[in-house]
Amino acid sequence: MAKSEAELWSALQADVDGLTGPGITPETRLETLPQWDSLAILLVITHFEQVHGIVLSGSQIRACKTGREILQLIPR
Amino acid sequence: MFSTLSNIRIAGLAVSTGSVTRDFIADGLALGLARAQLERISQTIGLKERKVAAAGITALDLCEDAARRLLDEMGIDASAIDAVIFVTQTPDHSQPNNSSLLHGRLGLSKSTTAFDLAMGCSGWVYGLQQAALLCAHGGAARVLLCAGDTLSRLTNPLDRATDPLFGDAGSATLIEKTGHAPAMHFNLEADGSGAKSICVPAGGARLPATPLTKQEIKDAEGNIHHAENLHINGSDVFNFTLREVPGSVASVLKMAGWAPAQADALILHQANRFMVSTIGKKCGFAPEKTPMDSVETFGNQSSASIPCTLIHALGVPLQEKTLKVVASGYGVGLSWGSVALELGPLVIAPLQSFPKL
Repeated sequence: MAKSEAELWSALQADVDGLTGPGITPETRLETLPQWDSLAILLVITHFEQVHGIVLSGSQIRACKTGREILQLIPR
Repeated sequence: MFSTLSNIRIAGLAVSTGSVTRDFIADGLALGLARAQLERISQTIGLKERKVAAAGITALDLCEDAARRLLDEMGIDASAIDAVIFVTQTPDHSQPNNSSLLHGRLGLSKSTTAFDLAMGCSGWVYGLQQAALLCAHGGAARVLLCAGDTLSRLTNPLDRATDPLFGDAGSATLIEKTGHAPAMHFNLEADGSGAKSICVPAGGARLPATPLTKQEIKDAEGNIHHAENLHINGSDVFNFTLREVPGSVASVLKMAGWAPAQADALILHQANRFMVSTIGKKCGFAPEKTPMDSVETFGNQSSASIPCTLIHALGVPLQEKTLKVVASGYGVGLSWGSVALELGPLVIAPLQSFPKL
């Protein structure tokens, strides 16, 4: 059964410290997060490889403006 | 490119590291960075300490020290060496090459051939394959493979994404032709379309060094560097290693007829703990078979990192018995190479700094 956006977001947050914190949701603009940096991008790449089996490029992730746009990179 | 080369063995290993210890947290605090952010990076990536070369010491000096100590430990006269291969991206000069300079320093015979390979983090595996080829088909009985770099000289201290990664080291590996050694299985690959992911843009023939190429700029993350510095696109490099290295390791395992569980160790280029851990897991190796401690002590040592890790993690057993080892290097080029081999017993010179402290 396909996971909900909340479940996918929660799993992503568990692996990427730069996406965690009070009030951070899939709608939060990534550029406003203090720990949205090159380390966070490495953690997103690792999460996608280990959880979803795909290897994203840094530019794919940097092009995302919100967490929701990152979640949209998950293969359906 | 796949190759299998038989009746060749690694007879000895030595590594000389830089003598100056740099501490990731202390260096960051000295630049005014926040301790919490430094600790976050240190814990996630595994950046702790590294050893860099003292002023005036080059990769040639480090490799010469390793070579002299190895030959001394093995009781081999330099006249018994048929070829010297020097793997480096930080040679003393654009001309002559480091292998010729080392040839002169060691007083090698005119019949000893010498050439450089301009390779980085994949270079020890590439150099080993070339050395094995010379022994198998090139008329050589003994080849001295020297691999090392002083990449800390190419980074900008204010580039906190790149500078803290690198240590300096030089290695010496003696490869011998023998009548009874099991085969070494190699897979060497490259992808030049990614060449700019790891690059020193200026200082070569394409863009010679000028005052303009020393003008510093600040990037989007606040890191400062200029065109003569080493630039690394970390996410692209990580992406490339995840895509390519596990397949490369699987290919040499298949050539050797081993499952990951049958191999005693996977020695990955020590880019950083995070990368080694992630790739090791993807290759199907248990963490205890994928050493990753040396990078936290010495830093990313470019082409010297695999021999350094062999000594640091497996130095004692390798002097006593044979281990089934897979080694894989990956980096600038982009290039990557893996080898599966039965290694040991062999002579190992103690891991030490140059100058010795």
